[in-house]
Amino acid sequence: MAAPVPWACCAVLAAAAAVVYAQRHSPQETPHVQYERLGSDVTLPCGTANWDAAVTWRVNGTDLAPDLLNGSQLVLRGLELGHSGLYACFHRDSWHLRHQVLLNVGLPPREPVLSCRSNTYPKGFYCSWHLPTPTYIPNTFNVTVLHGSKIMVCEKDPALKNRCHIRYMHLFSTVKYKVSISVSNALGHNATAITFDEFTIVKPDPPENVVARPVPSNPRRLEVTWQTPSTWPDPESFPLKFFLRYRPLILDQWQHVELSDGTAHTITDAYAGKEYIIQVAAKDNEIGTWSDWSVAAHATPWTEEPRHLTTEAQAPETTASTTSSLAPPPTTKICDPGELGSGGGPSAPFFISVLVTLALAAAAGSLLI
Amino acid sequence: MLPAAGEPAAGDSWGMLACLCAVLWHLPAVPAHNRTGDPGPGPSIQKTYDLTRYLEHQLRSLAGTYLNYLGPPFNEPDFNPPRLGAETLPRATVNLEVWRSLNDRLRLTQNYEAYSHLLCYLRGLNRQAATAELRRSLAHFCTSLQGLLGSIAGVMAALGYPLPQPLPGTEPTWTPGPAHSDFLQKMDDFWLLKELQTWLWRSAKDFNRLKKKMQPPAAAVTLHLEAHGF
Repeated sequence: MAAPVPWACCAVLAAAAAVVYAQRHSPQETPHVQYERLGSDVTLPCGTANWDAAVTWRVNGTDLAPDLLNGSQLVLRGLELGHSGLYACFHRDSWHLRHQVLLNVGLPPREPVLSCRSNTYPKGFYCSWHLPTPTYIPNTFNVTVLHGSKIMVCEKDPALKNRCHIRYMHLFSTVKYKVSISVSNALGHNATAITFDEFTIVKPDPPENVVARPVPSNPRRLEVTWQTPSTWPDPESFPLKFFLRYRPLILDQWQHVELSDGTAHTITDAYAGKEYIIQVAAKDNEIGTWSDWSVAAHATPWTEEPRHLTTEAQAPETTASTTSSLAPPPTTKICDPGELGSGGGPSAPFFISVLVTLALAAAAGSLLI
Repeated sequence: MLPAAGEPAAGDSWGMLACLCAVLWHLPAVPAHNRTGDPGPGPSIQKTYDLTRYLEHQLRSLAGTYLNYLGPPFNEPDFNPPRLGAETLPRATVNLEVWRSLNDRLRLTQNYEAYSHLLCYLRGLNRQAATAELRRSLAHFCTSLQGLLGSIAGVMAALGYPLPQPLPGTEPTWTPGPAHSDFLQKMDDFWLLKELQTWLWRSAKDFNRLKKKMQPPAAAVTLHLEAHGF
């Protein structure tokens, strides 16, 4: 009798309190996301509050000066990237959160830059794109590929966001390919397209594993070897030709050699003792364009190991040991300053020391007999 | 009006063309090589490959001149018309796997037949070309193309393949069509040049493939060893 009545009363009061509470904390649990253009002006109303309501605005938890307010609305002029953030307005006295806006300042997209290339001819080609200037807000891209009137599928690259791949179904086509891309974000959209023939976009990857070695006993030669790029699927039917360039590090001018086949070449006009930088590029024999230059290889031609003046005074054992140690190191400087007495050109004293050593050896040999 | 007035002249050129094409089709087999010291088909395959490169180079300047003569939009680099008409032109385009698996005889036959057709059409083009300079360039190109045909025939003979003989009724004849407008005629010319260029690229690849197959295997092995620096 008396017990149920207070219980019902409490329940009703609790429900009413909950409703009032919910109303006071406005339905804006998740902030409203808003995109605005860089440099523009924006007025943020405080949700459904009256213009003359007493509110305080905060951005990312920091109070904003009241002079930015127009009544209960926040006015931001000349938006900069720094204006992006979470804006919240509160009832001034009770500090109840009335409204939240997640502001993103950005730009509509400029015309995208699109390019296509076939480094896996005749398997297929890929297209990649980017925006010339950033938009600072999320963009979505849509790519369509047309071969004549036929739509082809462009498969997204598993690793790169701005690339997709197309497989050739037919080779030696006279009909052009047209690749179109459209980009859009919350502030606008843009598009571009390119048209090309099958042959014009062929560009292999650079040759791999370029190695340059000196040739023993040849001070003006360097032997260069490389491999066809691993991405080129069929070098037998679609052979590559190569372009080699080399120069000593101390000079700026490159020497060039074009090679119609084979993956090796011997340079025969290297400057003795100078370190060389060598690069190779590849191209399909008949179609397309040259690849980028390969990773550079460095090498110095073979040089004879210099004779050391200090050791020739010793007996034949030294002579024997120095003659056997004439095997040259692959790439070393001519002079080791620690061992030679004076700096200067080693050639003359070296020659003389050889003569002296030989004379001594002959003399020693004749004595032994 | 104009086609009717030109009827007798066209009829003459039809006849001449049919005759020319017939002559081409019944090209006598190249006489057998001197058997002593026969180097095999290798050198003639190389020669044919070189001819395709030469022709492709020659065609580039010829096509440029001719398309300028046709005027816009044919000479615009972005010109991308749908492939309508020009049904009888031999198409170079082929499925990748089919192309890969072509046997030598079929590969050579397709090349031979294609260029026979294309040469025929080119001679038709020459008849209608307005300027003397164009006619001269076209005639020169036709001669070179004839040389390519002969070279292909030589390779086929060296490998023991018979030259393709046309079935009666399938001989390529010049068909200007009853209501062929000036624009459509130019479209046909455009596609002829395009197809010719593509065929020359394809032939280079075809003959590359043939060259590799004819190469003695030992040479290939040596090349590999050299490459690995042994």
